[in-house]
Amino acid sequence: MLNMKNISRIYRSDTIQTHALRDFNLDVKEGEFVAVTGPSGSGKSTFLNVAGLLDSFDEGSYELDGVNIQGLNDDELSRLRNEKIGFIFQNYNLIPDFNLFDNIDMPLRYRGFTAGERKRRIVNALEQVGLASRAKYLPSQLSGGQQQRVAIARALAGEPKILLADEPTGNLDSLMARQVMELLHTLNDTGSTIIMVTHDPDQARSVGRNVQVIDGQITDHSVYAPTHDNATIPVNV
Amino acid sequence: MEMFNYYLKLSVRNLIRNRLFFILMISTLAIGVGVFLANIAIIKTMSSDPIPHKSDRIFNVSLNVWTGDNPDAKLIEVMRYDDAMHILKNDIATHTMVHYQSQVYARDINSKSLTRHQAVVRATTPGFFPLTEAPFAYGGVWQQDHAKQIVIGDTLNQQVFGGGNNVGKALEIDGKAFEVVGILKPWELKPLYYHAAYGQKFKTTDDIYAPIETALDNEWAINVRSTSTDRINSVSDNRGKNGYFIQAFVQLENPQQKNAMQAYIDNYSQHRQEQGEVLRANENRLLDVNQWLDHKEVVDERMIAFALATSLFLAVCIFNASSLLLARYHSARFETGLRRAVGARMKDVFYQGLVESILIGCVCAVFSLFFGWLFLQISTRLFPALERTSDIDFSLIAIGIFVALVTSFISMLYPLIRSCRTPLSTTLK
Repeated sequence: MLNMKNISRIYRSDTIQTHALRDFNLDVKEGEFVAVTGPSGSGKSTFLNVAGLLDSFDEGSYELDGVNIQGLNDDELSRLRNEKIGFIFQNYNLIPDFNLFDNIDMPLRYRGFTAGERKRRIVNALEQVGLASRAKYLPSQLSGGQQQRVAIARALAGEPKILLADEPTGNLDSLMARQVMELLHTLNDTGSTIIMVTHDPDQARSVGRNVQVIDGQITDHSVYAPTHDNATIPVNV
Repeated sequence: MEMFNYYLKLSVRNLIRNRLFFILMISTLAIGVGVFLANIAIIKTMSSDPIPHKSDRIFNVSLNVWTGDNPDAKLIEVMRYDDAMHILKNDIATHTMVHYQSQVYARDINSKSLTRHQAVVRATTPGFFPLTEAPFAYGGVWQQDHAKQIVIGDTLNQQVFGGGNNVGKALEIDGKAFEVVGILKPWELKPLYYHAAYGQKFKTTDDIYAPIETALDNEWAINVRSTSTDRINSVSDNRGKNGYFIQAFVQLENPQQKNAMQAYIDNYSQHRQEQGEVLRANENRLLDVNQWLDHKEVVDERMIAFALATSLFLAVCIFNASSLLLARYHSARFETGLRRAVGARMKDVFYQGLVESILIGCVCAVFSLFFGWLFLQISTRLFPALERTSDIDFSLIAIGIFVALVTSFISMLYPLIRSCRTPLSTTLK
């Protein structure tokens, strides 16, 4: 599904070169739930930006769902983002004066779906996250956890190949965080591939696979028995 | 079309959400376009062709008959009575007319009121009417050169008689009766090409049209120039003297006619030179209407300079609007980044901005037309001479809308490009 080989991403200023990613290798299979952990500034977000085609890379190769990313133009990258990737952001990134329906509608518009098809997908996505009755609500009328579920619905509506979640529970209290995590696990159980950046070691352990990034490189690669509770057992280090 | 509607909906939402910002931005552009439009309105009226279907066939006749001894003096554009009569005698032109302007006070001879109306007189010849295509509402032209018969314009007809067919009635001018034999329909000429010589380019058409001989017979005042030491005792005494006060126009249908007319006036001028009257080299001219108006600098240099200034002002307004939009797009980069992240292409963002610029351009056009109209009103109040040079017609409205759309697009272009090129990874967390 996602295959990165020797990816390097260097940020350059007049005097400084920063290696955000160096020789970064990661292979994520379809249906996997991968947690990416690491300290601040380790390169987790850069990895997620590169994986989500929001940022370019300087060296290496990257294949997403069998498509080699290198050399693609903006139109092709945008289409890939739209069709294959669903984003879940820490800050939800909902447009405040759009209601839930219109927020979820946004990526579908760029796909060129008919109004009927868009409506069907939006209703389905809202049902999946348990907010079908609140389609006309504004984001500000919802709790943080509900807003994040709307963001998940927006990501799901396009039926993407992979979900990229950047600290999806970072702004939520523990109860809401647990609800969002349960939703992500449910999605994973139904076949969704998910890559999640998180600071929370418990959350990382709750998913099938944990990747630790330090100084732009993967330093630890643990695979856990797929369980949703906290009693995870490392099976391969 | 569905995406266009979507972009339009987003644009309306943006306008409403940032209404104060857009009021400021649209006002900036609309004032610039409005001032520009007002200036264009004035220049367009000034430079318009007053008789487009035959302006290339009507020629002003300028003769080298100035008896002054300064060889560098500009060619004079009025001629003496005798010169005018010679021009009138030609059988080359389809129509020939000579004229001068005077002014009288007139009243309905049968009216109990003694109120007299000031009236501008065009002392001319019958050829004036077919040449200028002055439109008759009633009656026609006088039949004799010295007849006490006149044609009146619609305005005077309304003022004196209250309108309608008053052919056969009489006006009292300086205690004498003049029969009205023709009444014109409302008639506008901009510029008043047949009298562009004396700074009256944008005056209305005349109140009274009278035979030139009658006007002289009755001593209707003239502005005359003379280089002679002859004693001229009266207006009518200008016949046969070196008083220059008459203009001439001819209608020539083709180059052959024009060449023949040129030869005719050259021969006449040559003859005068041989008689020792004219000291300058031959410089007789036939200028068609537009050449004549250019020669008379109907659109003067001050207006051109003002046009340049308003263009620069418009450019400043565009820069201001653009910098405002740059700030707006900067503040909206989250939404742009989000749209890009979920699949909008750069061109989608650009198209959305384009639709927004069209919407802003349309709103701006409405305000521009209002500001243009307002500026013209202020201009004509401050400078009454501009009153008849400031028409906003359909073509000008179309120009206004077009300029507003273009300026809106130009002011959006750079902020939009910047917005499209903002790195996605920096705008989203």
